[in-house]
Amino acid sequence: MGLETVNKDIETNLREIARGLLKDKKVDVIIGYKKGTLPLLSQPIIIDSEEEVDKLIWNNLCYVNLAKYLVPRVPRFVDSEKGNLKVGVVSKGCVGRALIHLASENKINLDEITIIGIPCNGVINRQRIEMEIGEKEILEVSVSGDNIIVKGKDFEKEFPFDEYMNDLCKGCKIRKPPLVSKAPDLCVGECEEYSNIVDDFSDIAEFEALTPEEKWNQITEELSVCTRCYACREACPMCYCNLCFVDQNKPVWFGKTTDLPDVFVYHLIRAMHMAGRCVACGACSLVCPMGIDLNKINRKLEKIVKERFDFTSGLDPDVLPPMVDFKMDDAQEFMLEED
Amino acid sequence: MVEKILKKDDIGKLYSELEKEYKFYAPTKVKGNIAFKHILNAEEIELDYLNSKVPPKDVLFPQKETIFEYRYEGKEVIIEERKDLDDKLLIFGVRPCDAYSFKLLEDFFASGDFQDDIFLKKRENATIIGIGCNSPRQSCFCTSVGGHPFQKESTDVFLSDLGDTYLVEAISEKGKELVKKLSWLADAKKADMEKSKELAKLAEDSFTTKFNFDLVTKVLDENFEHPVWQEISESCIGCSSCTFLCPTCTCFDVIDENDEYNNRGRRIRIWDTCQSCLYTLETSGHNPRPAKIQRCRNRIMHKFSYYPSNYDCLGCVGCGRCITACPVNNELRLIIDKILEIQEKSGEKVSA
Amino acid sequence: MTEPIVETKQSENKEWEPKIIAFLCNWCSYAGADLAGVSRIQYPPNIRIVRVPCSGRINAYFIIKSLTDGWDGVLISGCHPGDCHYISGNLVARRRFAILKELLEFFGIEPGRVNFMWASAAEGERFAVLVRKATEIVKKLGPNTKFEKKW
Repeated sequence: MGLETVNKDIETNLREIARGLLKDKKVDVIIGYKKGTLPLLSQPIIIDSEEEVDKLIWNNLCYVNLAKYLVPRVPRFVDSEKGNLKVGVVSKGCVGRALIHLASENKINLDEITIIGIPCNGVINRQRIEMEIGEKEILEVSVSGDNIIVKGKDFEKEFPFDEYMNDLCKGCKIRKPPLVSKAPDLCVGECEEYSNIVDDFSDIAEFEALTPEEKWNQITEELSVCTRCYACREACPMCYCNLCFVDQNKPVWFGKTTDLPDVFVYHLIRAMHMAGRCVACGACSLVCPMGIDLNKINRKLEKIVKERFDFTSGLDPDVLPPMVDFKMDDAQEFMLEED
Repeated sequence: MVEKILKKDDIGKLYSELEKEYKFYAPTKVKGNIAFKHILNAEEIELDYLNSKVPPKDVLFPQKETIFEYRYEGKEVIIEERKDLDDKLLIFGVRPCDAYSFKLLEDFFASGDFQDDIFLKKRENATIIGIGCNSPRQSCFCTSVGGHPFQKESTDVFLSDLGDTYLVEAISEKGKELVKKLSWLADAKKADMEKSKELAKLAEDSFTTKFNFDLVTKVLDENFEHPVWQEISESCIGCSSCTFLCPTCTCFDVIDENDEYNNRGRRIRIWDTCQSCLYTLETSGHNPRPAKIQRCRNRIMHKFSYYPSNYDCLGCVGCGRCITACPVNNELRLIIDKILEIQEKSGEKVSA
Repeated sequence: MTEPIVETKQSENKEWEPKIIAFLCNWCSYAGADLAGVSRIQYPPNIRIVRVPCSGRINAYFIIKSLTDGWDGVLISGCHPGDCHYISGNLVARRRFAILKELLEFFGIEPGRVNFMWASAAEGERFAVLVRKATEIVKKLGPNTKFEKKW
């Protein structure tokens, strides 16, 4: 079944479910994706009537993690009389995970949202495609079979979707939002119960086998173009601190410049803050204006918490995330010991 | 104005001659994106490009810039001012929209009681060699803001891409002197100049995005509290990509960095963005723009309402970088459409 | 009358010695270090001690800032799990240390620069042995030049 058919099916089902939810007043508003004005982009859209349901789309260009609009709630989701409206969120697996994880951090009340699950088949790595096309304007993006066709004024190029998918999507095992057993009404549409996710993290094995010097060189090379715009931080649903650590000035911990040590430290500490919280949605890399790829780092974060604490973020709102919990018998093989 | 021809094969020769006198900046590929960097090897120059990711304002007003350095010698504090402001710079291959942005930046840094010496000195010592746009992008709209894909006024020397050669036109006095130095350039023929005019017309006709910004300014001035701003700012995530890639954005933060272990420090300035929630946070704790809607509105008002009031011109050059950079596709053209709709809907509401 | 400051001349063939910042928890490790001193147990003078109330007080910022400030090594020492004066401070810290150690290694910082250990107030000898071990590890790695800012 080609990509186009798959996407069309998902879209049709999605619109059906959305129509039903709005009709039965199970939700007050729905947030989903709409066709973008530029070939490789999509827009988030908020609808509140059945007539608008046909604006909702699903294609492999739906990058933004919609959970971002729940924390803090955008004004459209709050009514002056009714208070918090019931929001339906069109959710790929990672969006669903983000919502459930935010609930475990008490930032969202799961009674106020409905997860409209869709079986995500991955998003395109648009920066990679733009870089390969180079300095030619992309005018049209379409799908044929399992390939993405990119057209411009005087060129046409084919990209196999499996290869040009975002790296995080390639290794993703949670493509549909997780079902939450204690909240059976939370999810509609395509959701799945996950237990014992098997992941060998073979995609980062090659990088992990490098020497520290090689790792340092590769990472600093990737980060060398960072302009400290903080788009990665703003796009991440888990970055909701009122005062980010880089902006602290009592005391000033780390520099805000584009000098390599400052850039390196910003990404290192942000990764540390994401341990056990990152849902591997890839929004951070896909919104970066300079095209920095943080996917390896996010995969490593998932690996650390899976192997050490057998934890995967965003599956159960009642399980304590690893960084706010501890066990007497936690592994401590890294501690210095007498010979 | 004497027109000359520069063969594309001779760019290397041009570079080796000019780099003796100037610090040569030109577009080059950096990690897949085009950026204006100090060129050390003529092979790195890439003139076949749409536009750079980060605008060339980065050369004169970099993301991070030292204002002064200081060090301790015993009990004495010695302040060292910038010494490189008198270096001659050459920025090669700038698009007309970005060249025009230098004028807007100059207006900003020279206005008021305090002139920004650092920027203005660098600008004075910079020579701009512009290049015309043969194929503007769908997201470009320089013709709507008083610009043109072959606008020459803001450059010192202007190049038109004729295929195998560039037509070289000296525009300013600085430019005329520069072209005189390059005595090995062949004279241009009438056919070359005709071709350049032809390309200019073709480029002008290819624009798909057109706005009447005088009307936009009027509508903005009268509708500060209009509910349309709610709709416009709804999907914005405050990522600030638009402000970081804008050629006319000038906001910066000043930071003191202390290197206590080496008895030295420096004062630097880094780009800041009005889209950050901390941007207007005052020491008292009060924040005049606490919500996203206010910050989103501020950017549009600044470019299309405050700039016309303060500097008598629009604060936008029509490069379209904010349109292609916005990750949620909350792009300027949609915003302007929504703003103009206010005027349409109000129908009888006529300007004062 | 002020004494003139006497300048000591450094010997020419002095080999490089690492500077290691050590965060010691007040109740166990700091007391253990004190016991090592009182018992006249020799250990390398490369560490500069910062006393904190508990290893749980250690924020990743302290460790990273030490590295960016130019310290060649960082050593953190706390009470043994189960013996924390504040019951669970070191247990919380242990998870943080684990994540930080793995991430630092992933980002390319040499694994030996940041070390963690447990040492109780009665273990003066153990403290000295582990500090000696840590100093040797850091010495082999050489000076920390990765975070030097070029002005």
